[in-house]
Amino acid sequence: MYSTELFVQTFISGVMIGVLYALMALGITFIYSIMRMINWAMGEFYMVGSYLQYMLVVGLLGTDLWWLAIPVSVAGVFVMGMVVQWGLLKPVFTRPPESRDDYATVVTLALLLFLRSVATGLAGPNQFTPGSNLPVIMVGPMPLAGARVAAFLFALAALGLFYVLLRYTWYGLALRATAQSRVGVQTAGIDVLAVDRIAFGIGVALAGLAGALLAPVFLVYPTNGLITTMKGFEIVVIGGLGSIPGALIAGLLLGLIESFGAAFIDSSYQNVYGFILVLAILALRPSGLFGERGREA
Amino acid sequence: MSMDTALETVGLVKRFGGLLASNEVSLKVGQGEIRGLIGPNGAGKTTLVNLVTGVYRPDLGDIRLAGTSLLGLDMHEIARRGLLRTFQVTRLFGGLTVRENLMTAFLARRHHASGGDALAQTARMLEITTLGPVADLPAKKLSGGQRAILQIACGFMIPAHCYVLDEPFAGINPVIKDAIIDLIEDVNRRYGATFLVVSHEMAVIRRLCPQVTVMMEGRVAAQGTLDEVARLPEVIAGYLGKALE
Repeated sequence: MYSTELFVQTFISGVMIGVLYALMALGITFIYSIMRMINWAMGEFYMVGSYLQYMLVVGLLGTDLWWLAIPVSVAGVFVMGMVVQWGLLKPVFTRPPESRDDYATVVTLALLLFLRSVATGLAGPNQFTPGSNLPVIMVGPMPLAGARVAAFLFALAALGLFYVLLRYTWYGLALRATAQSRVGVQTAGIDVLAVDRIAFGIGVALAGLAGALLAPVFLVYPTNGLITTMKGFEIVVIGGLGSIPGALIAGLLLGLIESFGAAFIDSSYQNVYGFILVLAILALRPSGLFGERGREA
Repeated sequence: MSMDTALETVGLVKRFGGLLASNEVSLKVGQGEIRGLIGPNGAGKTTLVNLVTGVYRPDLGDIRLAGTSLLGLDMHEIARRGLLRTFQVTRLFGGLTVRENLMTAFLARRHHASGGDALAQTARMLEITTLGPVADLPAKKLSGGQRAILQIACGFMIPAHCYVLDEPFAGINPVIKDAIIDLIEDVNRRYGATFLVVSHEMAVIRRLCPQVTVMMEGRVAAQGTLDEVARLPEVIAGYLGKALE
């Protein structure tokens, strides 16, 4: 009986954290699929989301209204993403595509250092927590931290919203078309740079959401996005760069593998199990579970 | 001729390194005309298409649509002003279904329209093009001919002022070729749309285009009916002595 219970508990905690990892991976892969660039500052948008959440909860709304702070924090990161696209990325996207990758890498790495420095400069290297007064929730015989359950449920809702946006709205159609052919949408009469702006905003808002949701669990400090971002990239390699189902499935897979590895092998190697999976994928299926080998530009 | 000019280029110059790809190209296409654009490979036809539709910026010269300059506009702005193009290698949204491709083409230029309008026009276009049975397949699963007709159909979702078609008939079977010709003639008759058709298929050009413009080595070499230009010594020389057929 003991082992069944442990198995179920391990499974649930794996799924719960996997969904949050999937948010990060989805952001990375979504921005890539539209703009054909990697946003290396993803973790810093996560960090900004967690700081916004902390400031709103502690300074303005109070712990009871944490759920109201979440959408506000996410909206803040969304707007910030659109400003970054407009001010830093768009200028080079108006030119021919040859050097875009290099440029985007340099700009987003610079942004990473800049945002970390700003966070350290304004609030120091300290760790903060917005706290959580959510009760421990019993799922059967198993106690689960309320903040984690809430984060999981919010993440599920966000994924649902993201799906509906992509599947059933005109914006979603424009986004999916842009992922297929940037030249094609321009020829049809769509302003591809405006699509980029929305896509970059949504992509970083997913990271900001993960940051805001995990603020009471993993704390708030200048480099708190590092681990989750690393997981995000692991997932993207496993699932295949540019694949949305790949990001979701690989996110769950990574959460489960870590959870089971920690429970049944050794918890001190928790961060290693994912990398073993990454190495296996790279050896057996280098384009990832759902990745495509080459795409039309 | 008394007809108004739909599309006009004035002394277009475009240089790629040492290659003068477009050498003072001036041409006028009248409102409602279906003009052929022919010439040997490397004559600068596709460069001209890319200049006109905003893919390249000309070094010198001007492009006018119904008298208004298009210089400095982005590709999507030119499309929204009613100058649409197709590509020799089709640029469809391969992962989207045929229906979604048509919807995108409609909403791209009229995103304040209701979803119902888009659906109705999509249904109509599926019927006209006989793409109905494959409407829910991803575009990448279509045959070459079906892709070509879908690309044209996307352009016709909302009638535009002027179309530039780059090799719409290359490598396509005769049945679909006829279907595309019918579509072009229908949109031309019904909406007075103007066409500039780049093609190597002389039989189609003869059928579709009262007037053709011949390009060679980046310049406009001749203009007239296909039979007139085919007799010109410089045109024959440009095609390496081969008769135009």
